[in-house]
Amino acid sequence: MTEIRHVLSAADPLRHELGPTEAERHRLRQRVVAAAAHLDSRPGRTRRPVLVSMLVTSAVIAMIVATSSMWPRSSSLAQAAVRFEVRLAEDQPAPGLRAVRVGNSDRTVYLHPEIVVTNNDIQGSTVIPGNAPARFWIDVRLNAAGAEKMRQATANHLGRPVAILIDGDVVAVPTLKSPIGAAAVISGDFTRADAQRIAAGMIGAAP
Amino acid sequence: MNSLPIVTALPATLPRSAAERLAALFDAHHERLYRFARRLVPTADNALDLVQETFLKAARASHSIPSDFADEEAWLVRVLVNIQRDRWRKSLVRRRHDMETRASSRPASDTEAALVARAAVWTALDRLPPRRRAIIVMHELEGLTVNDVASVLGITAITVRWHLSRGRRDLARILEPYVGVTDDRD
Repeated sequence: MTEIRHVLSAADPLRHELGPTEAERHRLRQRVVAAAAHLDSRPGRTRRPVLVSMLVTSAVIAMIVATSSMWPRSSSLAQAAVRFEVRLAEDQPAPGLRAVRVGNSDRTVYLHPEIVVTNNDIQGSTVIPGNAPARFWIDVRLNAAGAEKMRQATANHLGRPVAILIDGDVVAVPTLKSPIGAAAVISGDFTRADAQRIAAGMIGAAP
Repeated sequence: MNSLPIVTALPATLPRSAAERLAALFDAHHERLYRFARRLVPTADNALDLVQETFLKAARASHSIPSDFADEEAWLVRVLVNIQRDRWRKSLVRRRHDMETRASSRPASDTEAALVARAAVWTALDRLPPRRRAIIVMHELEGLTVNDVASVLGITAITVRWHLSRGRRDLARILEPYVGVTDDRD
């Protein structure tokens, strides 16, 4: 008697067929990618009420006003809808460093005065789907000059924090495990509208 | 923003849009998915269609795709099996009629016997519920262990063994007129 495994194996269509042609694979890939691109281009719906969005925007503006007098400003940032900066940071105070609270947390970090990269160093920023419905992240790409500045600044800063500032607010302080290059993803609890505003603002376009 | 964002440095090759992410996902997994799909459906065109529907579903649910390679493959396999289950349920009435018609046919000559036997095997597989068929395919043809199958499909090893047992028994009964088979055990 024959084992089922052998019967199935002998009749396996993959043993008797060539499989899809390159053209078929290509067409299939095109259809899948086109569908994804179509979804990319569709305007998303946000669950956040308009009033809450306005309050968040007001809070961000208030934060900019509150911090602007204490921060060196780049001339290019005045044109940007969203001020994006990356600075090296430390966990311990030291002369010349400025203490800043991280977001709404209790953590305080101490920022170096030099700005590593700003809006000018961003080649592009894209809104990408996050890890939950109606939540979006921002994929940031630096241009060659920005990537080089980032690499140089972070290479000697491993194991220490780097601060990401949006509109003057320290929104994240990841600890460097390896030098940062040309790409980064800001994964937060953004609505599509928030993410689009930040992504568009980073490269100086109108929100 | 309700909570603090996290910034992750990523390789420069990271896809920037959902379309590019889907393209990367397709490039990484379409071959394995096609091979799996082909063993679940009657024709190559059906398999391509099933693979396409799986990736289209991935495009619509990109937020829930795991980032790890093995996890995203398992996720795609589960999506594919679920799509096939839905299709199978919808076509159940037609399928029963087809099976009854096919079951009444017999080889017209010895020269056709091998082809008919081969067709009979896959016709028999067609009669299995999709998840059971997927388990049979993964274990018997792809060589996955019971635990691996359970892990991919997100079910218990006991459930996998139960489906294997039922599937082998069903196949042995259906195929008995065409080929001598034994309901082999692990």
